[in-house]
Amino acid sequence: MISNQILQTTVEGLKAISRIDFCVIDSDGKISAKTFEDVQDCIADALAFMDSPAESQVINGYQFFKVYDEQNLEYILLAKGTSDDVYMLGKLAAFQIQNLLVAYKERFDKDNFIKNLLLDNLLRVDMYTRAEKLHIETDVKRVVYIIETKHEKDTNALETMRTLFAGKVRDFITAVDEKSIILVKEVKGNETYEELDKTAQVIIDMLNTEAMSSAHVAYGTIVSDIREVSRSYKEAKMALDVGKIFYSNKNVVAYSRLGIGRLIYQLPIPLCQMFIKEIFGGKSPDDFDDETLSTINKFFENSLNVSETSRQLYIHRNTLVYRLDKLQKSTGLDLRVFDDAITFKIALMVVKYMKYMESKDTF
Amino acid sequence: MASLSLKNVCKVYPNGFVAVKDFNLEIADQEFIIFVGPSGCGKSTTLRMIAGLEEISSGELWIGDKMVNDVEPKDRDIAMVFQNYALYPHMTVYDNMAFGLKLRKVPKADIDKAVHEAAKILDIEHLLDRKPKALSGGQRQRVAMGRAIVRSPKVFLMDEPLSNLDAKLRVQMRVEISKLHQRLQTTIIYVTHDQTEAMTLGTRIVVLKDGIIQQVDTPQNLYNSPNNIFVAGFIGSPQMNLIDAEVVQNGSSVTLKLSDTVSIPLPAEKSKAIIDGGYVGKTVVAGIRPEDIKDDEEFVAKHSNTTFEAQVKVYELLGAEANLHYDIADVTCTAKVSPRTTARPGDTIKFAMDVSRLHVFDKETEQIITH
Repeated sequence: MISNQILQTTVEGLKAISRIDFCVIDSDGKISAKTFEDVQDCIADALAFMDSPAESQVINGYQFFKVYDEQNLEYILLAKGTSDDVYMLGKLAAFQIQNLLVAYKERFDKDNFIKNLLLDNLLRVDMYTRAEKLHIETDVKRVVYIIETKHEKDTNALETMRTLFAGKVRDFITAVDEKSIILVKEVKGNETYEELDKTAQVIIDMLNTEAMSSAHVAYGTIVSDIREVSRSYKEAKMALDVGKIFYSNKNVVAYSRLGIGRLIYQLPIPLCQMFIKEIFGGKSPDDFDDETLSTINKFFENSLNVSETSRQLYIHRNTLVYRLDKLQKSTGLDLRVFDDAITFKIALMVVKYMKYMESKDTF
Repeated sequence: MASLSLKNVCKVYPNGFVAVKDFNLEIADQEFIIFVGPSGCGKSTTLRMIAGLEEISSGELWIGDKMVNDVEPKDRDIAMVFQNYALYPHMTVYDNMAFGLKLRKVPKADIDKAVHEAAKILDIEHLLDRKPKALSGGQRQRVAMGRAIVRSPKVFLMDEPLSNLDAKLRVQMRVEISKLHQRLQTTIIYVTHDQTEAMTLGTRIVVLKDGIIQQVDTPQNLYNSPNNIFVAGFIGSPQMNLIDAEVVQNGSSVTLKLSDTVSIPLPAEKSKAIIDGGYVGKTVVAGIRPEDIKDDEEFVAKHSNTTFEAQVKVYELLGAEANLHYDIADVTCTAKVSPRTTARPGDTIKFAMDVSRLHVFDKETEQIITH
């Protein structure tokens, strides 16, 4: 059903153009929208008109019209006045509202279709027939973005997204849960991943500046058929998760650029536990103090360069060497040696992944 | 309008990455302050922490007399203009500017007033009924600014708002932003990696590297008295010539040996600072701006004790000036000379430097020893 607000805007708009008062009454006899006050007096006439076989009628200075939705009576429209002009404008208004019903239904159906498509709830044969009915092309390139805002049910963010993409009839904005907004975007022939990244940045900046919401955006790979849209959605979901675990300083994460995080994310937890036990014995990397952890991170950031790391940490070179020696004693891994460094780096990532999965299970 | 205060602000991401470290800054009311630095230096992160879009890991942020660490972005009374702005294509300029206020459920009459006032400030009143596609690049940028202005915020935050524009439009918009600051008389914090933008717009500049403030000062002071090698190299184009030099003492004066053939005697004040700092016999870094090295006769005669010869490798004519590139001890140096110079690649010519403008840095700590 169309919201009363939309109907009110419509009748107000029609009045502004024609200077004729209108009122819309639903099939239960409730007033949905009006541009004049003394409507209550007309309700009884409207109910009587509903039962009559006539398509339009003039009663007590008002013209009455029926508005159908696929042969079901949805509304009665009243136009104030009895002249031919009022009749013509009343017919036009009824036609306009009927079309609004069709457009709304189509939009609702499209939204439902896209949701089911993303969640893989459609049989392949249904997918194509329903897409055809809804005038959604099946063989165009698309990509799925997931936009996660800091707060759940962020209506400002949803409104900003809808407005930003309102002009693009081939893109769809929807939501399958309260945490995130989903954008299924058509990709033009020559559009590259760089441009998809740019779109993600625009989304972030627009949500920041307009809705004042902080957001993370993840997107899947480009798919070329409608049946693959759910794959792009799953990829985007995974990218969002991997981003949260390993790339928390990034606002935009692309599935195609997940790097080593992608591999670790797919490891079974028992295997991870075995690996961590092998590397750290009974210890956990959490046992390292903040100073040691920041030293390790800086050392990795600077590609195992002792001079540069000590300079950036404002410590003497020998202090850094001492810290690395101490770490070697406790773990058996010398971070200055490439093989040991990579083992340690992966172990730290695995621990992060295990912690994330643990926290997910807790909720 | 408001002052801002950042006290020991740090940002550490959950993955351990330290983006901003111990950031301390007082920003006065109506100040136009610029955060500048290479990408990844923490300037945008700091701005986003001020906006409330990133959580502050530790430290305090004050806007006016209120600590806002835990205040939501929409309640901080700020407005932002970011790099990747987009206008709503199906809406008029008026609706584009009004959209943010409508989201905040501001009464229609107030929105109308705010939009018209902002449009007047930006000189886009005549464009209010147009759709974005009918606007030029500069007009679109002004509409994006207008969306921030309608909020009448205490503080404007701008994150590289001009970086998507072409060079010509960028210069034009730079002037517009400067005018806007004068008209609005409000606090603006502006992030850029472009040092020309920083130098021309800011009342003060904050130079950042690796999440740490390197120097905060006026554009002129940053240029004339850099605190360290990073600031010296980052501010100024072409960048300052930085050459390793051996400190040689001759009684109470000091000579910097830049190469086997180039030795520059320092004036008494600079010599004293170097001797007092215990740098005699050590290697320091000498820094001199390209415009302080010239090849014209008058300049060479005036600075006859600092002359040296070098072979020109590259000659670049820029119209009002020319750049000559040559080597001193394997370091490529630049001299900004008169366009009437006759020097061409392959010529060995005599240069002189204005030693009063020479900076000397500690090679290890990279901090300034003497200006």
